[in-house]
Amino acid sequence: MDILNPFQIALSLLFSGDAELMSIIGLSLSVSLTAVVTSLVIGLPLGAILAAYRFPGRTPLIVISNTFLGMPPVVIGLLIYLLISRAGPLGFMGILYTPAAMMLAQTVLVLPISIALSRQAFESLNAEYAPLFQSLGLGRTARISALVFEARAVLMTIALACFGRAISEVGAVMIVGGNIRHSTRVMTTSIALATSMGELAFAMALGIVLLLVAFAVNIASQLLRNSFRNLGHDV
Amino acid sequence: MTSDARSEVILSAHGLELVREGVRLLHDISLDIRRGSITLVLGHNGAGKTLLLNALHGLIDIQSGSIDAPPLPHQKMVFQKPIITRRTTRQHFQFICRDLDANEAGEWIKRAGIADRIDAPARALSGGEQQKLALVGALAAQPDILFLDEPTAHLDFAATKFVEGMIREAHEAGTTIVMTSHNRAQSERLGEDVLLLDGGRLVEAAPADRFFSAPQHPLAKQYLDHL
Repeated sequence: MDILNPFQIALSLLFSGDAELMSIIGLSLSVSLTAVVTSLVIGLPLGAILAAYRFPGRTPLIVISNTFLGMPPVVIGLLIYLLISRAGPLGFMGILYTPAAMMLAQTVLVLPISIALSRQAFESLNAEYAPLFQSLGLGRTARISALVFEARAVLMTIALACFGRAISEVGAVMIVGGNIRHSTRVMTTSIALATSMGELAFAMALGIVLLLVAFAVNIASQLLRNSFRNLGHDV
Repeated sequence: MTSDARSEVILSAHGLELVREGVRLLHDISLDIRRGSITLVLGHNGAGKTLLLNALHGLIDIQSGSIDAPPLPHQKMVFQKPIITRRTTRQHFQFICRDLDANEAGEWIKRAGIADRIDAPARALSGGEQQKLALVGALAAQPDILFLDEPTAHLDFAATKFVEGMIREAHEAGTTIVMTSHNRAQSERLGEDVLLLDGGRLVEAAPADRFFSAPQHPLAKQYLDHL
């Protein structure tokens, strides 16, 4: 087979605005972005608390979050499946094989990244700012808000890391989403399916889109980095 | 401020002890700071000056002893190396002095002579400009007591003159100043009271004129000989 043929078909699919391709891309982006935002909303304050305060249970929490960093996506998919399947404790929600289940799986997948990386960022910033915050008499909430604000440049990098992990993940969303056409099929699961069915052009088109998304995200982050650097951020 | 008010004690510490990793850093320090005075905390490097300021301001926990001082919102501290946030000059000022509106903040920044850098990143200011920003940010809050940890270290003559002028102005307005310094001339210019530390011990507490003209403790005489 001519290796260039799939590239040509991929590009023509992309530029023709193929409806199925566009819906897959849209679902992938919405699932992953929702998971990233949710994991940041939960993970950043947790990272800040772990960095700024000493309390009983802090070390076990750090160990658990670090352990989940290396957890294979399929295992996370399996755990979520057990939770939300009809017989599971969250079975009453009826979200198995829906985009909501995929968002939940991706959130659990990237949450440890947002906690672990933000904790590291907050620890160095907290060491720098603790005397000032204490002198200003900032309370717990104000202190954490200020830390999050000061860390905004680093947090952008963390968000990108989370997004990269979420958008490229296949195992967990395959298990809890089921790869159902027009419903829960995303770019990675489509690539896996199309490749197994020999539809290499379609698989390649999605691969190119994934690369373009990564490219666009990196350009945006570089522009943001430049503006943050002007404010004295070490990025 | 009347002489009666100036003789009133605003901050009193008794038997302060600080131990870190088995090392005693402050030894049984007791002192009184008069309201409206300028007190110079002197001593060689490692004598415990910064630690004492931090302890009096409540930034570090002491192992024993007590401190009777105005509540934290009525105190301010300017650190030897200013802690500057990753914001613009205006935003940083409003972060460290939250009660002022944008116009008042602008006026204080203007007084610091850095109005042309008001929208520049605060961390891009020079060391002297950052120190001025930190000082006006502290003074704008009109604290009862202001702690200054070597506020003119690493500053050139013009910046030092500016900082000393602001200190005098705050003093005339009734603010109590407690500051550390390694500069004898500055200490003699500004100081009304002197606390001399050596190895974490308070070895002499005296009015500045008497301390510089007739120090009592042998270590005080030795210190002045080296200064």
